[in-house]
Amino acid sequence: MRLVIGEDQAPMREGLRLVLERAGFEIAATAADASELRRRVRAIGPDLVIADIRMPPGNADDGLRAVLELRAQRPELPVLVLSQHVQRQYAVELLETGGRGVGYVLKQRVADVDAFVASVRRVHAGATILDPVVVAAVMDRPRPDGDALNTLTPRQREVLALMAEGRSNAAIAQRLTITEKAVVRHASHIYDALGIAPSASDHRRVLAAVRYLLA
Amino acid sequence: MLAAGAVWAAGVETAFILAPPPAPWVALLFPAIALVYVATGLAAWLRRPSSALGALIVAGGGCLLLGGLANMGSPWLGAVSAVTATLILAVIVHLLLGFPTGRLHDAASRRVVAAAYAVCLVLETPRYLFAPGATLSIADRPDLAQVGLQVQRGVGACVVAAAAWLLARRIRAASPARRRVLVPLTVYGMLALLAIPVSSAMADLWGGATLTQAAVQLVAIGLVPVAFVAAASRGGFARTADLAELSAWLGADEARRPALDAALAAALGDPSLRLLFRLPDGDALIDARGAEVARPASDDRRRGIVDVELAGEPVGAIVYDAVLLDRPDEVREAGRVVALAVDRERLTASLRASRARILAAADDERRRIARDLHDGLQSRLVFLAIQAGTDAEPAELRAGLETAIDELRELVDGVMPTPLTERGLAAAVTDLADRLPSPITLQIQGLESRLAPAVEAGAYFVASEAIVNAVKHAGASGLAVALRRVDGHVRVEVVDAGRGGVDLDGSGIRGMTDRVAALDGTLTIDAAAGGGTRVVAVIPCAS
Repeated sequence: MRLVIGEDQAPMREGLRLVLERAGFEIAATAADASELRRRVRAIGPDLVIADIRMPPGNADDGLRAVLELRAQRPELPVLVLSQHVQRQYAVELLETGGRGVGYVLKQRVADVDAFVASVRRVHAGATILDPVVVAAVMDRPRPDGDALNTLTPRQREVLALMAEGRSNAAIAQRLTITEKAVVRHASHIYDALGIAPSASDHRRVLAAVRYLLA
Repeated sequence: MLAAGAVWAAGVETAFILAPPPAPWVALLFPAIALVYVATGLAAWLRRPSSALGALIVAGGGCLLLGGLANMGSPWLGAVSAVTATLILAVIVHLLLGFPTGRLHDAASRRVVAAAYAVCLVLETPRYLFAPGATLSIADRPDLAQVGLQVQRGVGACVVAAAAWLLARRIRAASPARRRVLVPLTVYGMLALLAIPVSSAMADLWGGATLTQAAVQLVAIGLVPVAFVAAASRGGFARTADLAELSAWLGADEARRPALDAALAAALGDPSLRLLFRLPDGDALIDARGAEVARPASDDRRRGIVDVELAGEPVGAIVYDAVLLDRPDEVREAGRVVALAVDRERLTASLRASRARILAAADDERRRIARDLHDGLQSRLVFLAIQAGTDAEPAELRAGLETAIDELRELVDGVMPTPLTERGLAAAVTDLADRLPSPITLQIQGLESRLAPAVEAGAYFVASEAIVNAVKHAGASGLAVALRRVDGHVRVEVVDAGRGGVDLDGSGIRGMTDRVAALDGTLTIDAAAGGGTRVVAVIPCAS
C-alpha cells in the first residue's frame, strides 16, 4: 500500500513514517504544506492519504481543505485526517465527500501503534472512523426535547457511539461483552428510532446513523 | 481683625493729632486715607481671595498709617515715619503693574517693582541719616542728604519711566474693552505718582509747600485704591481676570502643567474646589483618580455644584465652597473656559483606566495559564518521568501521556480556541454552542469570509463571555445568539430570558467593554431586572 503523508511538523511526520513503514506500508511521499500535499497526491495517485488539518501556508484548516478538494476529484481516495483538536463541523464536511474510506482522529491516537495501524487498514478498506472524542461530543450535544436520540436507551447509545467510531459488530460485542446478535438487535432498534430505512448494505445504515448524529 | 486693627490705629493716630495744640487739618488726611485703603482693600480681598490686589491695597493703607506717624509728635514714631515715608509710591507702582490680580507675571514687571521698592526704602536713607536734627541722624551733613535726594529723584524717574513703558506696552496688547479701563486707570495712577514731588517726603510737606498742595497730593493718592477696585470690576476684568491664569494653564505644556482641578482651585481661590468628570457612559461623577463622588445635596448651603458642559453635553462638574464663592456664575464661567480640557481629561482618564484594566486582565490570564501549566501538566509529566524510571508498563505510560496531551489541548483551547484560529468567528461560536448543556438559537449571517484576527477574537470573546454569563445566571434555554456582518460592521447579539439585572460593573462586563472599545466598537447591555439580558456588540471590520 502506497501512502502520502501531509504533516508540517517534522517529528510527527517522521514518527508517522517510522510507524507506518514498520507496519509494512510504503511511504510514497511526504509533504510539509497543503499545496505540496495536493501536488504530490495528484502526481503519485496513492492508495491512501494521511494529512494534518492545520498546515501552512495559512496555518488554519489548509490541510483539511486540500483533503476535501482531493476527495472531490477522487471520491474513492481513502483519507485519514489527523488533528490536535476535533470538531464536529470537520467530520460533517469529510462525510459530505462520500462516506467510504474516511477517518478523522486525534494525533495522539498514533501512539497506540497497533490500533492506529488497524485504523489505517480499515479506512483503506472503506470504513468510516471517527475519534471517540468527536463521537462523545456529538452524543453529548444539546438536543431539542423531541429529538429521536433522546428516546434511545443508554445501551443503545453505547452501541451507536461505537458504531460511529467505526468499529465492527464483533468489536462492539467484545467491548460491551454482549453477543454479536445483541449488537445487531440494538442496531436495528437504533435505525428504527432514527427513521433510517432498511438498505442493501449495513455500511449505508451506519453512515446514515452517523450523519444523524453529526447533523 | 485686620480691619479692627486698622481702625484702631487710625483712631489713635487721629486722637494724638487732635490732642496737641490744634494741628493742621491736613494731618488728619493720613489716617483717613489709610482707612480708605484698608476698607477698599479688604472688600476686594474678601470678594476675590485668590487675587493679591486687595492685600496689596491693604498693605498700602498700612504704609500710609506708618507715614502719618510723624504727625503724632513722638521722635521715635517720627523715625518710623521717615523710613516709610515714600513707600506708598512703590506700592502704587506695584498696583499698576500687577493689575488686575496684584501678581506680576513677567520678569520685567518684577524688576521694575523691585527697583521701585529699592528707591523708596534704600535710596530714602540719606534723607534721614544725614538730616540735621532727625532722630535717626548719624551725621549732620545736609550736603549728603541733598546728593541722596538727587540720586533718589533720578533713579525714581527712571523707574517711573520704565513702569510707564511696560504699561503702555500692555495697553497696546489689550482688547478694546480692556483698553477702555486700562487707559484711564494707568493715566490716573501715573498722575498720582507724579503728583508727589519726588523731592519732598510726607513729613516735610507742610514745612515748605502749602497746605492746599499737600491736601491735593494726599487726595490724589487716596483715590488710587478706589480707582483700582472699580477698574477690577469692569471691562471683562471682573470675569476673566482670574480666568486668564486658567487660559495660561491650558496653554502650558503637558508635563509642567499641574492638575486641572488645582489650576481651577487656584484661579477661583477655593482650595476645597473639586473638579469632577462625567463618565462617557452614565451619570456617575468621578474625580481625577477615578473614584466615584456623590453630588452635594441640592439643599446643601455650604457646597455648591455647577455642571461643566461642552456643546450642550455635560462633561463634568465643579463642586465648590458656596460660602467662599457666592457667585455660581463665576464658577460656571470658569467651567466654560476649561470645558474642552475637562472633556479631554475625562476621556484620557477613562482611556487610562481601560488600558490599565486590559493590562491587568492580560496579566491575570498569564497567571492563570502559568498556574494551570504548573499545577496540571508539569506535575503530571514529572509523575510520568518517575513512573518511567520504575518498571512501568508502556501502556500505562502511554495512558498517562495521553491524559497530559488532553490536558494541554484543553488549555490551548481555553487560551485561543482552535476553531477560531482555523475557521474564524462563526465556527468558533458554533463549536461553543455545541458544548452547552441545552440547545440555543444561533443565527449567522454574512460571515463566510474571514475577518481580521483581532476583530474575530474580540467578537468571539464578547460572545463567549455573554453566553457563559447567560448560562450561569439564566440557563441556556431561551438563549439566542446572532452574528451578523452588515455594512462593514460585525454585530454580536446575545439575548437571554433570565432574570436580568446583571452587574454592569463586574469585571467580565468591564473586560467586554474594554475589548470592544479597543476595536472602536460599541457595547450595549440592556439588563432591566426581570426582563432578561441583551448584549449587543458592534465592531467595525473592513469589508
